[in-house]
Amino acid sequence: MSGYIELPNTLLSVQGIDTYIGQFHILEGVSVDVPAGAITVLLGRNGAGKTTTLKSILGLTPPRTGKVIFEGVEIQGKRAFNIANMGIGYVPENRAIFKALSVLENLKLAERKKGDLERHESLIYGLFPDLKRLEKLPGDHLSGGQQQMLAVARALVPDNKLLLIDEPSEGLAPILIQEMMEAIRKLKETTTILLVEQNFIMASKLAERFVIIDDGRSVHSGLMSDLVLNEELVQQYLGASIKTRVKEAK
Amino acid sequence: MKQLKRNKIGLYIGIAAALIVLVALYAVTGQEAFIRTTLSGLTLGSLFFLVAAGLTLIFGLMDVLNFAHGAMFMLGAYIGWQFYTNPTFIFGMLPAVLSLSFGLLLIPLIKPYLIALNLSEKLQKNLPKLLYVLAALAALVAFWQFDILGLAKTAMVAATVTNVGNPLAEISAQEPMARFWIRPLMLVISGLLLAVAVSKPGDKSQFAPREKIGKNLILPIVLLVSLIVSILVREQAPQIVLLMNGNLRFALSIVAAVLFGILFGAIIEITMIRPLYIRPFFIVLMTLGLSFVIRELVQLLWDPLAYQMSRPPLFATVGKAATSVGEWLRTGSSTINISGVIFPTYRLFVILLGVVMFIFVTVLMTRTRMGMIIRAGVQDPQMVEALGINVKQVFTLVFALGVALAALGGIGAAPFLPINPLMGDTYQMQGFITVVIGGMGSYVGAFVGALILGMARAFGDYYALKLSLSPAIAEASTVIIMIIVLLIKPRGLFGKKE
Repeated sequence: MSGYIELPNTLLSVQGIDTYIGQFHILEGVSVDVPAGAITVLLGRNGAGKTTTLKSILGLTPPRTGKVIFEGVEIQGKRAFNIANMGIGYVPENRAIFKALSVLENLKLAERKKGDLERHESLIYGLFPDLKRLEKLPGDHLSGGQQQMLAVARALVPDNKLLLIDEPSEGLAPILIQEMMEAIRKLKETTTILLVEQNFIMASKLAERFVIIDDGRSVHSGLMSDLVLNEELVQQYLGASIKTRVKEAK
Repeated sequence: MKQLKRNKIGLYIGIAAALIVLVALYAVTGQEAFIRTTLSGLTLGSLFFLVAAGLTLIFGLMDVLNFAHGAMFMLGAYIGWQFYTNPTFIFGMLPAVLSLSFGLLLIPLIKPYLIALNLSEKLQKNLPKLLYVLAALAALVAFWQFDILGLAKTAMVAATVTNVGNPLAEISAQEPMARFWIRPLMLVISGLLLAVAVSKPGDKSQFAPREKIGKNLILPIVLLVSLIVSILVREQAPQIVLLMNGNLRFALSIVAAVLFGILFGAIIEITMIRPLYIRPFFIVLMTLGLSFVIRELVQLLWDPLAYQMSRPPLFATVGKAATSVGEWLRTGSSTINISGVIFPTYRLFVILLGVVMFIFVTVLMTRTRMGMIIRAGVQDPQMVEALGINVKQVFTLVFALGVALAALGGIGAAPFLPINPLMGDTYQMQGFITVVIGGMGSYVGAFVGALILGMARAFGDYYALKLSLSPAIAEASTVIIMIIVLLIKPRGLFGKKE
């Protein structure tokens, strides 16, 4: 299943990319199709290459071969800032909140046009009301959960057509995971999302489509509703421990 | 929140310790000597700050240790001194610099069209190489039989003792205009060829937006106009500059040194440092080598001599010391009486320069988008890029800013230090120590570190003289302070935890 079928309303299409980091061959043929207006989730074991796939799309670790097509334009090989400016927002795994900047400055920095923040203020503070209160606090005084919210909020400041969100639930308390899920579900109404998520329950509740990445290759893709029923597949690629969780998810 | 409190407590302890040391020094030294030594320390600290501010910003943002920073400080002094004493050389070289940059600045304009060309792979590979050779040849033709050394010597002649009163006496004969036009023209062509080569024609993997042509056109047009003006006025300009008011001329030479720093810094970053970001160790060797090259070139142009730049009229009138700032500004007295201490007015100007630049850097870093990008980039340049910001461009700007600050320090120091090819070395060394004490990447740290070092050197010198110790004590004191600071705070006073 490593081939791809182009869907009619595909926003982003990753076609057989190979990515090296230093001399290590991290991705060996990853293909992902992201249909517009839906949530697609990348699943796979730790170290399978999910994060590198996101970074390759954005040009932070440029793929050596293969194509990345965004809105019908080939973007592989372009500089990361150019790709981001086409309308792609990135929420990295480690959150990468700027510690020397206040919460407000973190948001302001993400502006691409003057007034971006003002236009989206109600959306951002509607999703994460806490941030309004913390506006003046420097980034390094935020808790992990607050940092995660800021990281997502930052991607909402400019008009992004696609959001790449890496492990939004990592290290969050269960109640915050709920809040984050709500936020992502609301975001789906206006943007397209490509998600990396280890938390299978969260992934299965949010995403319409999935792509499984194993050892640097995309090995399976399809509808999330089918995957939840396919225990064998889940066990094979995502590990036995998840088996029980699949039942929960159902 | 806990950390915030701890930081504040540390700050209070630091301020208290500094006050105790100052009071103790005051008590031991006595009022007159204390005021004089403090002012000397502030003067030195001001220069240290101008050097260290650039070093710390450049290191913080790009992890580049710039070992050519002292050479850039020295170049700033030379350029300013040239402009002030006899700008024939600067105006003679200006058309060359402008015409080459004009060609290179057309890159964003022509790149989209060059990329769209359909060229075979072999041609894509070899065409740039051919163009580089042709560009070098064009540049060679442009400078063929061009007497750069003769041009450089004009200011030296003006600087010799016999000509002090009449700097215009020895302006060298100019080349005939007809021949001169060829030189800038060849350099424009050379720049254009380089621009085409750098754009990699036919390489479709590149990205070049076509829509912003109007914006890209402004800079080349401005440059073209100033190029033509610079060619037309190149004979009259030096005389006009030399006949103007000395204070204005000094202000303009500061501007000249800063502009030179910005241009030079940008060129060095784009051509030499940018290709080496993936090999940080090479950057150290490269900048170290660059400092040797700059020093040798300066020696070639202006001989390995030390020059004394005359002070601008506002600081030059010898005689009774002024009793107030108003009187100084009126009479242009060279010294001023500060509660019984006779102190050179020019040094007060250097202190002012340091304070003004500290305020400038603070405003830049805390109040502007540029400052926000720099502070964010110090932590994570990749994430800044992922937000859609051209980080490479910011790197270039910051490097240019750092070099401009060093050049400003150079011209600031020129009127009271002997100008020679080695003048930057001490300041570079002290600049590095300042950065280590203050914390890598922190401009506030650079300011505080510079003040501490300036004071340490001034009081070290004073006590070495008084107690007839070796003057090396003063130099050693800065290193001792660095060791103490590193033992207490390994990341420097204002260094951030990684």
